Amino acid sequence: MQEYLSNGRLLRLCLKELRESLRDRRTIMTLIMMPILVYPLLSMAMQRLLLGAGNAPSAQLEYVIGVPDESTARVISLALRETQRAASEGVRPSIEILRPAPKDANTNPNSGPSSEVDNDGNSPGVNSVEGNSPGEKSEQKSSLENGNGINSPTVGAIRTNQQAAFSIVVPERTTVSNSLADGQLDLAIRSASFERFPLPNGVSLPVFGFEMEFRDGDPRSEMAMAEFRKAMQLINDYQSAILRGNRLPASVTLVSNAVGQRADPMASLAGVLPLVLILMTITGAVYPAIDLTAGERERGTMEAMIATPAPRFILLLSKYVAVVTVAVLTALANLFASWITLSLGGLGRALLGERGFSFWTLIQIFPLLVIFAAFFSAILLAMCSFARSFKEAQAYLIPVMLVSLAPALVTLMPNVEFSTLLGIVPLVNILLLSRDIMTGASTALPAFAAVLSTLLYAAAALVVASRLFGGESATSGSQESWSDLMRRPKRRFPTPDIGELAIYLALLFPVFFVTTNLAGQWVLSIEQKLLVNALLLFGLFLLAPFFFAIYRRMELKQTFLLRLDGAESPNGLPRPVRLIGVLAASCLMAAGLWIVAYETLKLLSDVGFGTIDLQKTAALEDAKSRFREVPFWLIFVTSALIPSICEEFFFRGFVLSAFRSRLHPIRAVIYSALLFGVFHVVNGYVLSIERFAPTAILGMALGFLAIRTGSLWPGILLHAIHNGLLFWLTRFNQSELAEWLGSNSKHFPTAWILASVGSIAIGIVVLYFSTLKRSDEVSP
Amino acid sequence: MIVAKGLRKQFMVRGQTLVAVDRISFTVGNGEVYGLLGPNGAGKTTTLRMVMGLLEPDEGHVEIGGVRTDTDPMAIRSQLGLISTNDGVYPWLTVREMLMYFADLYAVEVPVAQIRLEELAELLNIKSFLDQRCSTLSTGQKQRVTLARGLMHDPPVMLLDEPTRGLDVVGSQTVFEFIELLKKRGKSVLLSTHRLDEAERVCDRFGLLHHGTVRYEGTLDDLRSLTGKYHLVDMFIDLIREDRQPASPSPAGA
Repeated sequence: MQEYLSNGRLLRLCLKELRESLRDRRTIMTLIMMPILVYPLLSMAMQRLLLGAGNAPSAQLEYVIGVPDESTARVISLALRETQRAASEGVRPSIEILRPAPKDANTNPNSGPSSEVDNDGNSPGVNSVEGNSPGEKSEQKSSLENGNGINSPTVGAIRTNQQAAFSIVVPERTTVSNSLADGQLDLAIRSASFERFPLPNGVSLPVFGFEMEFRDGDPRSEMAMAEFRKAMQLINDYQSAILRGNRLPASVTLVSNAVGQRADPMASLAGVLPLVLILMTITGAVYPAIDLTAGERERGTMEAMIATPAPRFILLLSKYVAVVTVAVLTALANLFASWITLSLGGLGRALLGERGFSFWTLIQIFPLLVIFAAFFSAILLAMCSFARSFKEAQAYLIPVMLVSLAPALVTLMPNVEFSTLLGIVPLVNILLLSRDIMTGASTALPAFAAVLSTLLYAAAALVVASRLFGGESATSGSQESWSDLMRRPKRRFPTPDIGELAIYLALLFPVFFVTTNLAGQWVLSIEQKLLVNALLLFGLFLLAPFFFAIYRRMELKQTFLLRLDGAESPNGLPRPVRLIGVLAASCLMAAGLWIVAYETLKLLSDVGFGTIDLQKTAALEDAKSRFREVPFWLIFVTSALIPSICEEFFFRGFVLSAFRSRLHPIRAVIYSALLFGVFHVVNGYVLSIERFAPTAILGMALGFLAIRTGSLWPGILLHAIHNGLLFWLTRFNQSELAEWLGSNSKHFPTAWILASVGSIAIGIVVLYFSTLKRSDEVSP
Repeated sequence: MIVAKGLRKQFMVRGQTLVAVDRISFTVGNGEVYGLLGPNGAGKTTTLRMVMGLLEPDEGHVEIGGVRTDTDPMAIRSQLGLISTNDGVYPWLTVREMLMYFADLYAVEVPVAQIRLEELAELLNIKSFLDQRCSTLSTGQKQRVTLARGLMHDPPVMLLDEPTRGLDVVGSQTVFEFIELLKKRGKSVLLSTHRLDEAERVCDRFGLLHHGTVRYEGTLDDLRSLTGKYHLVDMFIDLIREDRQPASPSPAGA
């Protein structure tokens, strides 16, 4: 493959594909004409929508009121029944309410007759008692109309031309306030009081007091609050009418509290823009993807092309570069067109709040679109590589687009939060991340997961595409299918190749991310947490790759470097001496490396890069003292021994072997170390970027050791000692450390640091002499 | 030099096994044109694809220049040139761009490719439209571009898959001249065609394929003495007549 990449050949191959795409008028149409047309039209539609939104009545008629217990619910039912009575007596409310009788009153399921228990299952897991607002029955309506005077103009902020119904629920397993904040309730009534106020004439008047909460800025919640207030006002009016001016305490006292941050009422619309941008990026990529794969076959150039000695992956890569370029150009054109449209029309502010669609937002969104283009182009190529004609490619793509559109539409719904776990859902993650960036509310961990997982999926899709591209099925007409990709190979392979690694990583990362996240969120004791983490590592980094390697018929000894000692060394040293030398070198390097790792972390924290202190990595501040109570052997086994075995198996075994199958060992070590670092950034359910550098440094040392010795075992020893020492450090509290390391307890004394560097240097020298003349292990 | 030994390939088509090629062997020497002849569906294209390394044979192997194709399929491919009926051109590229693209695919260095391009342009009379987009070319011009494309890496072995199908007299004549040129340059040419009259004109030796097996092999004189017929066409008509007689078993099923 190397000769194909020399002298700019890859660049020339990419240029050919780009020429082919960009000289085609149809590509240019999508690239330039679509953005010019789409955004002004979209902006016009949006403007109409926004103009309408100001006056539009809430379509939902039934509001959900949450109460803490059933006695509160009963008080509310009672109050609402009072309201009904007031309405049926024809009280003219002091606040005028416009209520035209709806023609479909009987067909509207929400305005059915009152029932005590509501079993409609709208809110699973909540008990529901339903009360009704005034004017449920037709005679009530007519009386209300009479009292109201339909011609009288509405006054004040409370204005409705629809009926309102309330269902009362008692949330289970959570408080009403939380439930309100989650959006499951429209209104929360935290407390209700009820008593009867005796009148001299022997009648007693009901007196109510309510304390309620609503979500500030949420139109639906505000509407529910207003409707409830109106209903209660009707009781007051009724009673003051009965009492004819007698000064008595108000029958209903209402206290309402606005809770939560004032949500942007247009927040859900902010999701539209990323969706349109993503859809346009897809549109830009579709035509070139079909044209450069299935089109190649249709024009009759495919066979001549794959009959050449050019590796298929290179052929596909050049096509991929072209498709991504066109997609990115389309994305750029759309981004600018939308930016100009939104900035000019003032629509940006209406959609995205005060900040509007700033140029800075554009700069932040662009890389996301590039990542998305990289991902979707790979998917498109994988689909089209399988097709034999344009028509067939289109037939494959349409379902894919529709299927990907469905979850995309979900992101448009209000209250869809970009939770951590959604970070690994392709397409949805990029959409939600773009939306959050536009509204200025993005968070680091899901953003990291979104970017990394999308890139990994892209790589895996590209590998699949290159295996399908120009395959036997495409040229000969035999009935081969996708399942061939997954089939167990017939011959044996010495090690995994980079393609298999890409596919494995695309499967591993989401599983790893979700499981570590869930494990981090479970409320478990520290001991259980340690055990669960160790089990996860064992499953994902040792067992799974091991079975994968067996299934794909790889040589296990070669893939996982299972030999204790590589080939016989010709330097004349007896085997035990060599082994002892290697082990001593591992120990010496470990003795120095843990201090280097600690200092790197500290340094990164000092310059403000870090998010957490090293001593907090093991357990957060509140758990620190409890962590010290855990027996050290348990910490050593779960956090040093098992991780070192599992991670060495995966990163220095599987990953390094895969990279070495195609790359120079030095590059292979660097790439595997970077991957090692990236996987350590996801630390439970927190993102610790500062762990990347020290882990990658350790990864390079371990990779170097693995290549030099041809064995995994010295690395396991080094890794275990390194982790063990770092965790041993967490056994001490600040004052103990200060006593031990001197007053400057944040850093090791200079002498220690120098000693550690010396130890690493001696370790390298010992390693060099113990593995001398093993040139076969270091040459490419 | 091409040596094919006992090639066999079967496909699964709708759950049924179809033997496309059944133990075919032949040899093509340097400067020799070997005609792989047979009606449609005889297994010619499948055989060519196995020689090319695009299909892996179920049995048997192919040697190009004494090297088995399954040892290093990629290296073997640079020894082969392929021209087929279905060959198209890139409509949006110029002739020069397309030929240089194929030179890149065959890992020919740019200066070498440029010299070869000029030489082939002269030889195949495509110089006048080298910088024209391929979509603007006539059928005859496209065909000459395709022939030039097959020689951009100067392969010792050339495979021609029905090169004259759909061409008029002038087009076919160009192909014949091209084959003469290949012969003169000492290349081994494997030509698959169902145009028997043309094959008689250009081929040195023949392999008559029917139902995936070679029925007769040799020079035209060999075949004439074997079959007692003068023209290839008559030999084939005999083969097909055999099929129609219910008594004789089908060779493919054997």
